[in-house]
This record gives sequence, structure tokens and C-alpha cells, in this order.
Amino acid sequence: MMTEQIAAVLRACLFIAIALLLCMVIFAAVGLSAIDTLRGVVEGAFFRPRAMDHVLRWGLPLLITSVGVVICFRAGYFNIGAQGQFYMGAIAAAFAAEALRGTSPLVAVPLCMLAGIVGGAIWALWPALLRVKAGADEVISTMMGNFIAALVLVHVTSGPLKDPSGSGQATSSLPVDAAHRISATTGTSPIILGITALVVLLGWWLTRRTAFGVLSGLAGRNPTMVTWQGADVERIAIGAFLVSGAFAGLAGSIELLGPNGRLASGFLPAHGFTAVVIALVASLSVLATVFVALFFGALASAALYLPVMAGLPAAAIQIINASIALFITSRTEAAENLLSRWRARWKT
Amino acid sequence: MAENPQAGAQAPALDAQGVTVRYGSFTALDDVTARFEPGLIHAIVGQNGAGKTTFARVAAGLVAPAAGQALIFGTQVPPGDVPRARTAGVELVHQSFALPPSFTVAEVLQFVGPRAGLYSRRAIERHWQAWLRDIGIDLPAAARIRDLPIESQQSAEIARAMVSDARLLILDEPTAVLPPEGIDRLFARIRSLKARGVTVFLVLHKIREVLAIADTVTVLRGGRLVAGPMPTAGLAPASLSAQIIGEGAGTLDLSDRAALTGEGAARHADAGAAAPRRGEGKALEVSLLHVARGQYGNGLSGVNLDVHSAEIVGIAGVEGNGQRDLVAAVAGLQPIAEGAIRIAGQSFGREGLARRRGAGLRIIPFERNVEGLSLTSSLWENWSAAQLVGRSLLATAGPRALRRLADQRFREWDLRYRNPDQPAGALSGGNAQKVILAREVDAAARLIIAAQPTRGLDVGATAAVWDALRAARARGAGVLIISSDLDELFDICDRVVVLAAGRSVGTFAPPYDLRAIGDAMVAATARPQEETA
Amino acid sequence: MEDLIIAFLRSGTPIVYIAIAGVIAQRAGIWNLGLEGLMIVGACATIVTIRLTGSVSLALLVAVALCALLSLLLWFVVEILKANQIIAGLGITGLGLGGTSLALTAIFGSEAAVFAPHGLPRLGPAFGVFGSLSILVLAMPFLVFGIWLVLCRSRFGLRLSAAGEHPFAARAIGVSPTRMRFWALLLGAPFCALAGAELAAGSLQLFSVNMTAGRGFMGFAAVIFGAGHPIGATLAAFFFAFVGALGIRAQLLYGDLFPSSLLLSLPYVATVIGLWISARIKGPSAATNSELGRS
Repeated sequence: MMTEQIAAVLRACLFIAIALLLCMVIFAAVGLSAIDTLRGVVEGAFFRPRAMDHVLRWGLPLLITSVGVVICFRAGYFNIGAQGQFYMGAIAAAFAAEALRGTSPLVAVPLCMLAGIVGGAIWALWPALLRVKAGADEVISTMMGNFIAALVLVHVTSGPLKDPSGSGQATSSLPVDAAHRISATTGTSPIILGITALVVLLGWWLTRRTAFGVLSGLAGRNPTMVTWQGADVERIAIGAFLVSGAFAGLAGSIELLGPNGRLASGFLPAHGFTAVVIALVASLSVLATVFVALFFGALASAALYLPVMAGLPAAAIQIINASIALFITSRTEAAENLLSRWRARWKT
Repeated sequence: MAENPQAGAQAPALDAQGVTVRYGSFTALDDVTARFEPGLIHAIVGQNGAGKTTFARVAAGLVAPAAGQALIFGTQVPPGDVPRARTAGVELVHQSFALPPSFTVAEVLQFVGPRAGLYSRRAIERHWQAWLRDIGIDLPAAARIRDLPIESQQSAEIARAMVSDARLLILDEPTAVLPPEGIDRLFARIRSLKARGVTVFLVLHKIREVLAIADTVTVLRGGRLVAGPMPTAGLAPASLSAQIIGEGAGTLDLSDRAALTGEGAARHADAGAAAPRRGEGKALEVSLLHVARGQYGNGLSGVNLDVHSAEIVGIAGVEGNGQRDLVAAVAGLQPIAEGAIRIAGQSFGREGLARRRGAGLRIIPFERNVEGLSLTSSLWENWSAAQLVGRSLLATAGPRALRRLADQRFREWDLRYRNPDQPAGALSGGNAQKVILAREVDAAARLIIAAQPTRGLDVGATAAVWDALRAARARGAGVLIISSDLDELFDICDRVVVLAAGRSVGTFAPPYDLRAIGDAMVAATARPQEETA
Repeated sequence: MEDLIIAFLRSGTPIVYIAIAGVIAQRAGIWNLGLEGLMIVGACATIVTIRLTGSVSLALLVAVALCALLSLLLWFVVEILKANQIIAGLGITGLGLGGTSLALTAIFGSEAAVFAPHGLPRLGPAFGVFGSLSILVLAMPFLVFGIWLVLCRSRFGLRLSAAGEHPFAARAIGVSPTRMRFWALLLGAPFCALAGAELAAGSLQLFSVNMTAGRGFMGFAAVIFGAGHPIGATLAAFFFAFVGALGIRAQLLYGDLFPSSLLLSLPYVATVIGLWISARIKGPSAATNSELGRS
């Protein structure tokens, strides 16, 4: 068991290294200095003042969402709609926050989070039903869900929840009641840390200590087999989608009540995709996600650092994430085969 | 026929020299050397896992040997180079057909044929229909492969192999899917091929078939050549049987051995001895079952079937005649249109498989690797699925406890494995089947449906499966075994039911008459055409 | 009325081209989720090259070359490294989207929209009111017909289908499914480039970050809705484009009555409905994914 886990870590490191090589090539191709860009990323991620604060501010919400992605992917469903579920959760929480403006934070904050959970879960429910009842593949439906949710967000921040005093360009909603904020704009807080820990614990329990965990793990690798054992595949599927949607929605509500403080059109546009990459790098293990999410949180904080401090484009981080996604699901045996074939050809 | 390599005769059709094939640490073929003369029908026999298919694929250029080479009519074919092998004149008719299901027959032939470039659909259908007529294969060129019955699909597969004018035609286990009459028709076609000068290789594993059709026979065992190529004339089935099995299954009784190697006329093991008494209660009652066409097959139009407790009933029939539909209906995976199903006395209508398992239903599914196991999941997870399906999804499932239980059961079944965390795909076929047996054949099993349980298994594993099913019968369970191997059914079943065209067309008791059962398998499929004529 | 048709053709053509690229890949057994990234690379390459050199033919060449490069990268990762198609495809899309942003910043200093002095050649006054459409629109039916011939009426097309539906059948005659997928992705690359070129330079002559807005995925959905058949996918692509054009129209006309963002979401909703319909039609017992669009 131990060697398996070590092998998984080495695998991830190998493919991340290959991904970074590709990134260097791309940076060089568009005329940037690859070395400088990489140095900028590393500095921005790990070596700026109050680095830990930034890592946690970005990493914890990512961690919450990616635990949900892990659960759904493990069950064999490519729910890539985390971004849309994240947005819908934030939107639901924003409506709740408006309705509860002025009430005691002890009441409002949990209710807003609950709204976020429900909002995210509902946005995952319809692709789940499409898949389970009609057999419609969830990849495109959840992807479309992302686009639709982004448009709903535009609508909400320029209509029902618009902040009338807002500046011209970006639309955003009214800020949340100050008493309801669970963290300052720049950082994180014990509340967020606590909620994240609960989510991780819940995710671990679901995947490692329940029948759902074993059966969904089997279903993810061979759905036919669990059907022939008599498992209720429909219930497993809907459960997996709902949990992942709920966690993404919860993350949305936390971003709203916490560091963001308000809904802004197009905020955190890479959150969902990054959560998917985190889940894959962590080889779909809830515990590993903790470390990987913090790593990607550091990368995300570097995205803000790059243009300001190093004069480099923030899109570099998007390239890094995409490149890692490209290579991370490769199989080591395939890479080994390739290497041995090259070696043989060089010898002759 | 004396071998005479120095004679100035034509080159041997196939000259295998020290062929060795390895898959990782497993040696599929070990230094196989043999010469096969042209113009004859050669049989290659051996049990599952002996290396017959691998040998056929090396000859066809599909598999590159790690050492040694195979010469086709004296030409050396670069290892693993299929196009060059086909140019040299060798073609392989595969066991599971190399035919894309949605293609029409004409499209398959066009795809394999020499003419590149654009075509018109009508033109190719006309062209290939005429060609099929010329070579004496009766198939509609416009029919889609997936709509053809199995025997026609095999004809299409043979046609596919004959497009390039093969001089050496290799057929890999062609008899496995055919009823007795179909085997006769196939042999007639092979004889006419021989008359046209084609050298034919047949990979078989029934001695009866070898003696019926082949001029020479070669025995493979454990990847090694143990006998032949030797003429079949005057060969004693018993000695051939001994060479096929080797010492690996010394504890097999005579009738089991005969069933494994298909020698002589099939007969029932306990014919003459007192047959075991079957129980009073019924493990399964199926009455007037009608099932619509669906993902499991073409449906059922009236099946009646009873399995008593402490009884083994076999279902004979060519695949595609309703076997899958029946199993899926009993399992609750396929809704029934009409009729009734009772398992261990309980009636079942729309209840799912989990409830039926609760009543004692166990299934050893058709496709071991797709329906029975999750190959990339661990052994303990594969085993625990059965424990966990009946309960709530949020019920506690402690991995440590489950691992320990799985370990215990695996050891009871004498499984060869390293630890319960191993992926199921790492096990050999026989051991993988034992995982399924360990999971399904437990004390609470009242009705065990075993679908093609010994397919692809070697001698030892096959014997283990038969022992397990007999032991279950002794414990009082009812066993329903579905198999396309009549020898197997005749050896272990107390009764045999024939399923054809979605109907149950007769129950037979021992001593079994191969001809009668073969006729029943075919007659029912002929009847519907008469009705519509 | 004519402007509706013009808008319809203009918005439909890029999606059709992407759908064609998707059909070719699907036949060979690859679900190419990198289409969105390939499309935006094509769009960016076209506009930037025209802006920097003024030459449209060079721009198309560069676009095709870059799309081919990305497609082959996808092939390498999926076929040689055996990565998961869906995730690798999304990675390619991310590389495309991020790479084009990066290129803008690196070449022009910011991520603001880039304008080109001219776009693709138009059909001209000979076509009357339709003269404002680009030549790629006119080329589209011919190219679709050509691809139909290749995929459904040639031995190459049969081999491609075998590689996707039953790879063993291909291997049995010595045709390597891996090599077939190579050709499939390579053959699709110019279509992705043309899709991007038409989107950016067909009428607007501008490139902005993320301008594809999910059209690549709509093209992918058109492949499924069209059952993997080139003609079917083309019709499905036009259907999605039609709904999109309707949405924009409605937003202009009825922007006060209905929320404009929600009207803009119509094509995405239509895509989902299209997926649902095609899944219901397929049913559990009908053709599998790999059998899409045989005729």
C-alpha cells in the first residue's frame, strides 16, 4: 500500500515536470523569457511576504471544491461543471445574504452557506438526471452549465443584485453585510479553515468508510460489474453529482462571505478547472487533495503577483494548469515503453 | 507420411523455427519448431492457455515472436508485419470475429480489399455479392454484421479472410460457437477449400473434431510442442487426450477428462450409476416468459424452465438465442413483458437484483472481465461488492474488516494471489474466476446461474469450477449452467434444456443424444422462417 | 429577412467547420475536447498574422500549422502516453485559451482586443446582398461534401471507422488504429483553423480573448447530436447557430422585456436539449458511441 502511494506521488511529479517543460517551450515561443517567467511564478507562489496567508486564501476554497470533484470522478462521472456549481452556490448565497441583511451573523452565515450548498447541488442535479435517465453524456452538459451559470452571474450582478454605486466597467453586486463577513478581503480565517477541515473529513469518510465509497469506486472503473452485482447505479450517480455540486456551491458561498465580500461578474473564472486538475494530480485521493490544493493555491496567488511585481502575464498560470491537465492522466507504463524503445533505437 | 525436408517438393506451408513468445514474465510459446506440409488440413490442439491462438497469430504476422521465426511457403515474413504476411498468402479467421458490427458485409470486404479510393454503395454491393456467389458463401452483401446470426457472421469472417486469395487459411477455434450441424457445414466448406488447393490450419480443442476433419494433428501444452505434426489416421483418442492434458489434472475422473477433451460421443458422467437425488423444492421457476428485444439480445418468446434444489440444469444453444435475455430477466436487469419468475419460492416482478440476491440468487456472469470483475480495482473490493449492495449507501464499510474476510474466503478457495489489495487484472483467468466463485458460491446461495463459467479456463481451473458447482448442488442449491460446450453440459448436468430463437424447445435427460439435441438447437431457428413464408 | 440569413450563415459556418473536425476524430475513436482551444488558436493566429504581415494566405497557413501542432500534441499524449482523452482534450483547450492570451500580452503588451486591417476575402458584389459573406462560407458546403465522400464512400473512411469502432478488425489486416487516429487529427486540424479564421476574420476582423465562448464545445455537441455523421453534424451545428442568432436578435429587439444575458444563454441551453434528444433517440439498446454515423 505504501509503495503504491509513493509511486503515485512520483508519477505526479514526473508528469508535472514534463508539463513544466512544455510550458517553458510555450513561453519561449511567444517571446517571453522562460526562466524569468518560471522564477516569477515560484517567487509569487512561495516566497512573497505573508505567503502562507495567500496560499490558504486561495487553496482552501479550491480544496473544498476539489474534494467534491474527487468524489464524482471516483464514481466514474466526468462532472467538469464545478465552475458553474461554484457560481450558482455563490449566487444563491448572495440572494440569501441580501434577504438576511441586518440579522444576526449566527443565523445568517449558516443559512447563506446552506443556500450555497443547495444552489450548487441543484446545478449538479440536472446534468445528473440527464445522464442517469437519458444517458446524455455529462461532459458537455456540465460544460454548457458552466457557460450558462456565467451568464446568470452577469445577469444577477447587472440586474437584481446590482450595486448602484458600482464603477462603470465591472458589474458587481452589493457588498455583503459587514457583520456577516467571515474573513477579511486579503486572507482567510479560522471559520474557513474549520469548514474546510470538516469538508475534508466528510469526503474522506464517504470515500473510505462507507458502502458508497467502495461501490462508487468500483462503478467508476467498471459500471457494468456493479450493475451485475445489483448495486443501485442510479442512486450512486445522483449522490456523487449532488455531493460534488454541494461542495462547489459551499466554496462559492465561502468566497462570497469571505475574501470576496461581493459577487462580481466573472470572478475566479479558473476556479472550477483548477479544482479538476487538483483532483487528477491527487490521483482522486481525498487526503492527497489537501496537499495538492495548497500547491495550486500557491500557484493561484502567483497569478496576481506576476503582472504586478514581475511584469509577466497572468495567463502564464493558466498555461501551467492546462499543461499539467494535459499530461497528468498519462500512464507510466506507456512512458516507460517509449523510453525503452528510444533507448533501443539509440543503441543500434 | 514421412517428413522429407530434403526432397525437392514445394516449401512447407508453415515452417516454425524455435518460435518463442513472451508477455512480460509469462511465456506463451516456448521454442516451438514444426513443419506443416501444403495442401493438407492441419489441426492444432491443446487446452485453453496452451498457446494455440498465440501460435496462430504468429503465423499470421499479428504477433512478433521474441525469438525464432515462421516461414510462410518458404518466405520469411518480418515479425509482426501483417500486410507482408497477407501478401505471402496467410490469412487468419479470428475466434471473436474481426468485424465492425455496424459495417455491412460489402463494406467489410471493401475495407479489407485491395482497391483504395472512392466507391459507390450500390457498386460495391453488386461486386461483392457476385464474388460471394463465386466462392460459394451465401450471404446478403447489404446486411449489417450485427444483424446476422452467429453462423452467418462466421461466414462473413471467413469471406473476409478469403478476399486476398489466401493459400494458407488459419481458423482459430471456429467450432466453439457452432451447433453440431453448423460444424458439419463448416467442415464441408473446409474440405472444398482443400480441394481448391488451400492449406488449412484449424485450432481446435475437441478430439472428436480433430479426427473428423484433420489430416495431421499437433499438440501444444503449456506453450510447448508435445506431439506432432503427426497423421491422424489410426490415432487413438485416449493417447491424444493424455498428451493434451498431461499430468496437470491427474485427479480428473474419466468422464470429466472425456468432457474436457471431447473424445468420443458425449455421454453423461453418472449414466449407469445412481443419479443424485434432486430436492423437492424449486430453486427457479420460469413460466411463459416473454421478454422484449433489448440490450441483452433479441428477446424471449415463451420460455418455461424449472430448476429444483440440489439439481444442475444446463441450457444448450448457440449464443444469441436468448441466453443473455434469460439471465438478465431472472436477475431483474431486463424487464419482463409477460410471464412469471420465482426464485426459491418467492415471486419477483419489478424488484431489482439486490433483492433477488437476498433471496439466494447468485450469478457467475458471461463476461468475466466486464460483468464479473473490475480489473483495475483491488481483490477485496471486488469481493466486497456482494456484501455491500443490499444495504444503505451510507452504511459503514470498514476496509480492514472486509480485507480480512476476503482473505479468509480466498484462502478457502485456494486462490493464488499476493494480497487482497492486488488489482483483479493481475490474476490468471482461472484465479480470477475463483474470485467470482468465492463471492457467489457461498452458503446462502439457493440458485446459482453460471454463464459460460469455464470459457477460456485451463484444465485445472475448469475442473475446479465443476467441483464447485457439484459441491453447491450437494449443499442443496439449484444450479443453472449455460454453456455452448455440449461435452461440458453432458458431463455435469442432470437435465439439459435447449434454448433456440428465444424459446425453450425441449428438455433432455441422460443419456444424452448429441444428434437429438443438435437437431433441437437448429430446428427451432428454422421454424420462424416457415411461419412467415 | 436577408440579414437573418446572413447572420445565420456567418455564425453557423465556424461551428460547422469545428463539427467536421470533431466528426473525423470521433470516427477514428477520439473524443476531441480540444476543439475549443484549436478554434481560438486558429482565430488568434489569423488576426495576429494579418495584423503583423497583411497577408491573408500567410495567416491561414500559420493558423493551420499551429492547429496541426496542437492536434499532434493531443495525439501524442492520448495515443503514445495513453492519457485520458477527455482530460487531455480539456488541457489542449486550456493551452489554446491561455496561449492566445499570453501571445497577445507578449506581442501587443496587453490583453485588449486586436484589430486587423482586413479580413478574409469576401464573396463580392456578384453575390448581391450576400457579398459580405466570406469565401469560407461558400467553401463550406463543398468541403462538407468532400469530407462526406472521404468518410462514407472511401476505403480510407472505412479504415478510420474500423479504427474507432473495432480496432481489432483494423489491426487484423495490418492497419494501425494509432496511425489512423494520427491522420484523423491531422485531417481535422485545417478545419479547426478555418473555423477560427471565419469566426475572427469572416466579418469582424478582430480577435479578443476567449472569443470562442464555447462554440468549440457546441461543435462537439453537434457531432453527438448529428450521430457522428458529417451531414447530420452540419445540420446540428446550424441548429445551434440558429438558436444563437435568434438569441442575439431577441436581445437587440426585446432586451427590455427579457434579461439579455439569459437570451444569450439560449445556444447553450439548446445544446443541452440537443444532447438530451439524441440520447433519448439512441436508447440503451441502440448503437454505441463508437458506431455513430455509419452511413
